[in-house]
Amino acid sequence: MEKELATLENGARCCGWNYCGRRMAVGHADGTVSVLDSLEPSSPSFSRSSKWKACNDSVVDVVWVPPEFGDAVACICADGTLSLWEEVEEDNQPLTWKHCKVFESSNSRVLDLQFGVFATSLKLVVAYSDGHVKIYELLDPLELSKWQLQAEFQNVIDSVSRYGKPACVSASIAWNPRRGESQQSSFVLGYNSDLPQVNSPKIWEFEESHQRWLPVAELASPGDRDDRVHTVAWAPNIGRPYEIIAVATSKGIAIWHLGLNPESDGRLPTDKIAVLSGHDGEVCQLEWDMGGMTLASTGGDGMVKLWQSDLNGVWHEQSSLDCNGGQQ
Amino acid sequence: MPSLVSDPTTSIVPVSSSPPPPGADNPPAAFPIRHGIRPPILRVYVSWSRGNLLQVACLRRPSEEDSGGDGAGGKVLEVRLGGGAADGEVDDAERRRIAYGSVPPFSLLQGRRNLLMAATATRAHSSLHSEWWQYVLEYSNSISNLLGAPSLPSSSVIEDPMTVLQPVKKPTYLKAAWHLLEIFYVDKMSSSWLPESLVDWLADYDCLLSKAEPTIHSKLVGLQNKLVYLQVIEDDPEYWEGISLALAVGWLDIVVKLLRLHGSYQLDQIDNRETENGLVEAVAVLASTMPRMRPDSAMGRLGQCYKNKSDFIKAWEKWRGQIAKLDCSAFWVQCGHHRTREGLRNLLQIMLGNLNNITSATCHWMELFISHFLYMRPFTVGLEGMRSLAQKCVQLKPETNSNGLMGLLNGILGENTEVVLAECSSAFGPWMVTHAIELLTAENDEADILLNEERYNLGGISINELHRLVYAQVLSSHPLTWQIAPTYLVSCPKQGLGLLENLLYKQPVQHYQMVLKNLEICRLYELDNISSSVMKIAGMYHWKHGRKGSGVYWLQQARDEVRLNRIAQQLFECIGKSVSDDSFKQWEGLIELLGSEVGVAGGLEFLHKYRDFKRSLQLVQDGSSTDAARKAVESLIQLMRSPSTPPRFWLPLLHDSVQLLNWRNRPLLNVSETNLLLSKLQELSTAKLHPDFGEADLPPQALGYVKLALAQNLGRAVLEEF
Repeated sequence: MEKELATLENGARCCGWNYCGRRMAVGHADGTVSVLDSLEPSSPSFSRSSKWKACNDSVVDVVWVPPEFGDAVACICADGTLSLWEEVEEDNQPLTWKHCKVFESSNSRVLDLQFGVFATSLKLVVAYSDGHVKIYELLDPLELSKWQLQAEFQNVIDSVSRYGKPACVSASIAWNPRRGESQQSSFVLGYNSDLPQVNSPKIWEFEESHQRWLPVAELASPGDRDDRVHTVAWAPNIGRPYEIIAVATSKGIAIWHLGLNPESDGRLPTDKIAVLSGHDGEVCQLEWDMGGMTLASTGGDGMVKLWQSDLNGVWHEQSSLDCNGGQQ
Repeated sequence: MPSLVSDPTTSIVPVSSSPPPPGADNPPAAFPIRHGIRPPILRVYVSWSRGNLLQVACLRRPSEEDSGGDGAGGKVLEVRLGGGAADGEVDDAERRRIAYGSVPPFSLLQGRRNLLMAATATRAHSSLHSEWWQYVLEYSNSISNLLGAPSLPSSSVIEDPMTVLQPVKKPTYLKAAWHLLEIFYVDKMSSSWLPESLVDWLADYDCLLSKAEPTIHSKLVGLQNKLVYLQVIEDDPEYWEGISLALAVGWLDIVVKLLRLHGSYQLDQIDNRETENGLVEAVAVLASTMPRMRPDSAMGRLGQCYKNKSDFIKAWEKWRGQIAKLDCSAFWVQCGHHRTREGLRNLLQIMLGNLNNITSATCHWMELFISHFLYMRPFTVGLEGMRSLAQKCVQLKPETNSNGLMGLLNGILGENTEVVLAECSSAFGPWMVTHAIELLTAENDEADILLNEERYNLGGISINELHRLVYAQVLSSHPLTWQIAPTYLVSCPKQGLGLLENLLYKQPVQHYQMVLKNLEICRLYELDNISSSVMKIAGMYHWKHGRKGSGVYWLQQARDEVRLNRIAQQLFECIGKSVSDDSFKQWEGLIELLGSEVGVAGGLEFLHKYRDFKRSLQLVQDGSSTDAARKAVESLIQLMRSPSTPPRFWLPLLHDSVQLLNWRNRPLLNVSETNLLLSKLQELSTAKLHPDFGEADLPPQALGYVKLALAQNLGRAVLEEF
């Protein structure tokens, strides 16, 4: 049932796959990043093609840039800095990973980031440890070094009130994965912080007419607004009349349906249809399959669980993989 | 991938290789991943790869002990989440053969469905219905042939009298299941002789009923192997048991063949054992003339066939009368061979429908079930009473471990489409479900509604569509089968194309052939968005990896004006920096490649004019030909007038042209042309304020030179025109 594809070097801290799952970037505790490739169709196993020093501290997350913008990764360092690296090959020069950009931030750390492709532009959402989110836009599709800050706001519904500066442990962002020219830009963002108002996941949508980002939905029941959010995932929608978003908090994994048409107040209708529990401890990652029908979750308990809905729309644990075993 | 309502433990896709015990409320048992990494685990990352392949990365928590730096920091594994036929009876290559082979009949049937749908307005429902049924039958036969050739009896002319069982290739579970569905759902003929169809089915697939426990087939195989070593065959109880077993399930040819091996037929004995031989032969004749309610006897099988029920009933009663008469005959007393007497009378009891004798002459409940139709309920028609009979048989012969075939039969007899689908899915995988739905809905409107009704809970699709999507995901998990997934996806009216788009988008672009294949599929199904994305991805990949020509080619194919314009800009930056021939030649080829279609990208127009300008400038380098110089000036003026020329190129252009402005013989620019250039210089000072304005790499005095040259030219032009 399982087949070994690669052995990671000692000190591996985090990893991320590219759009087709045939390239992997692995971040290490010594600040290096290595890229493993499995580009031969006949063999699924990976081999290392590059390794470079990306930062002075440990790399805590690596995220691939969408392929329309080349082969590039964003690295979050333990000190909270964010840097972009791109694979280039010039005439007669060997392939190298070139440093493109560092996103500076003087007094807060980068917790999470995600790229979204819209028509011809590339957007980058970065969540910072002060509860703020910044949205950057790439100015030149050929140059990953030229970014412009498009917006900056706090992850709160009520933007008028002033809140204290929260201490944020982690954040999780997921873009609406639907591609297409007409698609509105939207993403969901949740925080794990000591300030309840920033925690609950909000859906942010870009309003073209006023050129601003607005919260169009909040994925939290009245009693759960304070819950710290560990991770979120937006399911690919291949034709459903609603969106599905999974949100993991300490109470389990909530499955939300999000309506496509706004109500009179401009908000999108939401419906929490399931809360799935099964992981012992924190949920670390949520990942939808390409049809948005099976959700894979990983937990601090070393388990991978697969969740599906039955014909009545009842969600349940379909299977689980135990990664604590060890010896072959 | 939703699982079924009636039984939460049977999922549509058998994700887990170890399904939980039926009825358990607990979550399924965890499947241990053997990665060989020493615990504790720091973190686990997952990523869905092709289809339903899951990549799992297990990262190890560093510990004090391995400060030396040896040892792996983690492992990446690929986990295949089910998706094939159960029990591993079908290997990967065979599965792919079936997958590829079932595409043509499937798409033919879909095409025919669409044609019939289009014809509903003009033609009578009943004629469409029977036409459709014909199509389904044809489809079912194609699939059935694909699963294995029908088992034909030996064609050898001289038969070995000792070979009672015809050696045939072991049939597959998949074929047995398909055949079963065909009998119940498609074959209209079988509704009146359904029991006989089941008798034939059992004859073909009895060996699959149980692996662990004996079946009639396995016992007869045992007997067959023993036959040659037996001296006095009728003294062996296994001989008599074998005959009764074969008789119980209606394998009459085997019964007769075995009976005729009886010692009393031997020439040297026939005189002493005349009565005994007469009795054996009488039973053999009775067995071979058993009336059967079926169209015609399968090749080489004995029995008298009746198509008409009343004829059959008459013949049956007459036959039963003959058996009863023989049973009461006085000849038994004269039969000296005890085993023969007992064995033959047991056979008569079986033919008379004595439950005890039948029960002991069968092994598996399915065999007992079939015996009931042959000897106890010969007049059964259709599904009537079959389910309760099956339950009764299971009580008499309980199964220790049920296999998928029997579950499937139970679902069919219970007339529960959901259970049938669940059994198909859990025992035979998504291929079976996807293809079997056509059979289930062919003659059954209720099932048709159940399976084709759109459901909100499934995201607005039907169960049928859901199964096709699931099967397509399984197909796309393998590099050798993903290319047939589109056939199934386009047959899904709601979400097929959406999934196809995601599937195509996730194909790697490094291999040219693969990109072409991808684009061909996009063109076939008019997925312009995806083909454009694929070409952009390919274009960017090549552009960034030093293959600028391929990059431009793909971006042009994608009609990506934004990127092409940026590439054009990059070219300006390189060639705008200096007039040196080297750098110009380097880029000239690319400009050529960018093509002359000015409409594609605005920047290209400029590039082409710029190239023409540079070429004409090179011609005047020696400073002698005034005609060439005048041409160069015309190019310059065109460039400066054109709105597509970026302002930041104005100064470099003028700087390149200083030689023209200071032309010795006469001023090459007239007053209005010179004024145009001067006004451009004026505009330049405001354009410099734009943030996007890149300063060209020119000597600091460049502006001064240009201004001076322009002023001098203006003066000379004014004088000349004056």
